Amino acid sequence: MSRLRVTLRLNVSQSTIDACCSGRHNPGRMEINGVEIEDTFAEAFPMVAARAIITAETSRWVEIAAREVTGYATSVIACDAEAGIERLLSPADTPDGRPGASVLFFGFGREKLEKAVANRIGQCVMTCATTACYNGLPGTEKTIKVGGSLRFFGDGFQTSKMLEERVQGSGFRVQAKEASGQQSAIRKQQSAILRRRFWRVPVMDGEFLCEDLFGTVKGVAGGNFLILADSLAAALQAAEQAVEAIGKNCRDVILPFPGGVVRSGSKVGSKYKKLRASTNDAYCPTVRGITRSSLPGGVNAVYEIVIDGLSAAAVVEATRVGVRAACVSGVRRISAGNYGGNLGPHHFQLHEVLAC
Amino acid sequence: MLTLRWIGNTTVPVEAECITADRLADLPVADIERLAVQHGNRQEPMAEFFHVSGDGADGRIRLEGSMSRVKWVGAGMSGGEISVDGEIGTHLGSEMAGGRITVTGNAGDWVGAEMRGGLIQVHGNAGHQVGAAYRGSRRGMRGGTILIHGSAGNEIGSTMRRGLIAIGAAAGDFAGVSMIAGSVFLFGSPGIRVGAGMKRGTIAVLDAGSGAGPINLLPTFQFECEYRPTFMQLFLRYLRGLEFPVDETILEGKYTRYCGDQVALGKGEILIWQPS
Repeated sequence: MSRLRVTLRLNVSQSTIDACCSGRHNPGRMEINGVEIEDTFAEAFPMVAARAIITAETSRWVEIAAREVTGYATSVIACDAEAGIERLLSPADTPDGRPGASVLFFGFGREKLEKAVANRIGQCVMTCATTACYNGLPGTEKTIKVGGSLRFFGDGFQTSKMLEERVQGSGFRVQAKEASGQQSAIRKQQSAILRRRFWRVPVMDGEFLCEDLFGTVKGVAGGNFLILADSLAAALQAAEQAVEAIGKNCRDVILPFPGGVVRSGSKVGSKYKKLRASTNDAYCPTVRGITRSSLPGGVNAVYEIVIDGLSAAAVVEATRVGVRAACVSGVRRISAGNYGGNLGPHHFQLHEVLAC
Repeated sequence: MLTLRWIGNTTVPVEAECITADRLADLPVADIERLAVQHGNRQEPMAEFFHVSGDGADGRIRLEGSMSRVKWVGAGMSGGEISVDGEIGTHLGSEMAGGRITVTGNAGDWVGAEMRGGLIQVHGNAGHQVGAAYRGSRRGMRGGTILIHGSAGNEIGSTMRRGLIAIGAAAGDFAGVSMIAGSVFLFGSPGIRVGAGMKRGTIAVLDAGSGAGPINLLPTFQFECEYRPTFMQLFLRYLRGLEFPVDETILEGKYTRYCGDQVALGKGEILIWQPS
């Protein structure tokens, strides 16, 4: 099944585009630095997301742990979760004052995510020298159990510590209600206390410290854009620049594929019944002559940047930053992957995203 | 904010359990003035001892004056804030479940006894039995945080089950006696028999500058190792976030770990800080 392409009406004012983008514009047409921005949209899906803060004695061990725990986590097509390093953290930004990394995990459903995160942190972080692992989304309504599962490795020698954090003000809420014809105030206490439990699991270099519960939010996965270039070198350079720009400027997002770049973009389904996804032949230059290609003339290499974010706004911002950075010499067109709008509720119109 | 200014002139204790942020929030000044407090063996109206002004609807109370004879302030409080500008008597924040109490001066015995949640911060000294269990009770403090910037007396955290107590200066004898769990951080020199009978929990001795020398542990504590427990970094930064003074050198140090008390369950730990 080929990926469906749709033509959409541009509903962004021309003046907005002129103000935001360099280059010339025709109605319904957008260019940035001479690169055509196709009038299409990226289709993304809601996924449950969690954030882990990993710390270690040195930044070397932080990076090792962060890379291990985010390995084999490119796509839920075949992995238990999608994961990536959001950013590295300075000692001043971590709970224990050591170098750290912020890692995001995405999964279909809270139960699957809980299993994936607990397994990954258990096998890749707890085993890694000097590390500790904290919840990076405290105060969320819903949580998954991580340290609470891993503690059993302590075989009865594990202990826990609890901290109380005041979330907001004094936790005092005032309600008003009518009583006996006069307005009287009823004040009700809210706890406004966040209790965080940390498990201390004895290990051979001391203790592995892991927070009991990790907060989850409804994230957005599968935001994307495609870089269509005249050569592999140009496509790779553009993709690298996009990844670098997103990493430097964007928060709450990860690019889960190797180096943030996808070479094997996929479409839904296959001629082989057992496969849920197969190569996106419409964008493969080597089969241009024997398939319904979406490649314009002169395009010889395509890379896809896939973006998972904690919110739709974060994905939009990363798309904007990434596309602008990717519009360099040798790139012919920026497009985006979708399924005709039938599968995912999030539709990121490239022209709208880039207009502001 | 509701302001209660001490105008009393008595050496007889005044038991003012009614002074909590949540209880006074609903009441107009006239009603607060009529609230009964126990003065010796008699009940007297609050107005006999306090000048009441302002409005406590925002859940904040300020007490002014030297109230070392005023007991049970904030007892059982579940939310809101009390700030004491001066001294306060015994049983401050006893069995408190939430909210915050700040004292600029000294506090008496039994600060936060059997406390369940919230934060008590005393910028001066405190008496004996901080966060402890009352006599005959099975458990002491069960949650929350008590920060004493100055010194404290004997039996700090006696039989405590959960929570954090930090003492900024010298501590009395039997700190953490019979602890069930929880954390007691001593930033000054401790007295004798630290952790006697403790089952679980942590007593950290972080005496960086008193010059009191090495502490004598009970023989029922056993040396385990020297290391840098990560959770200590977490907790010390948490204390700093609450404006409790933690010296930079303490963040850099390492700890000698002893387990005990072997006469009890023996799963407790005493961490003795030393410079790295």
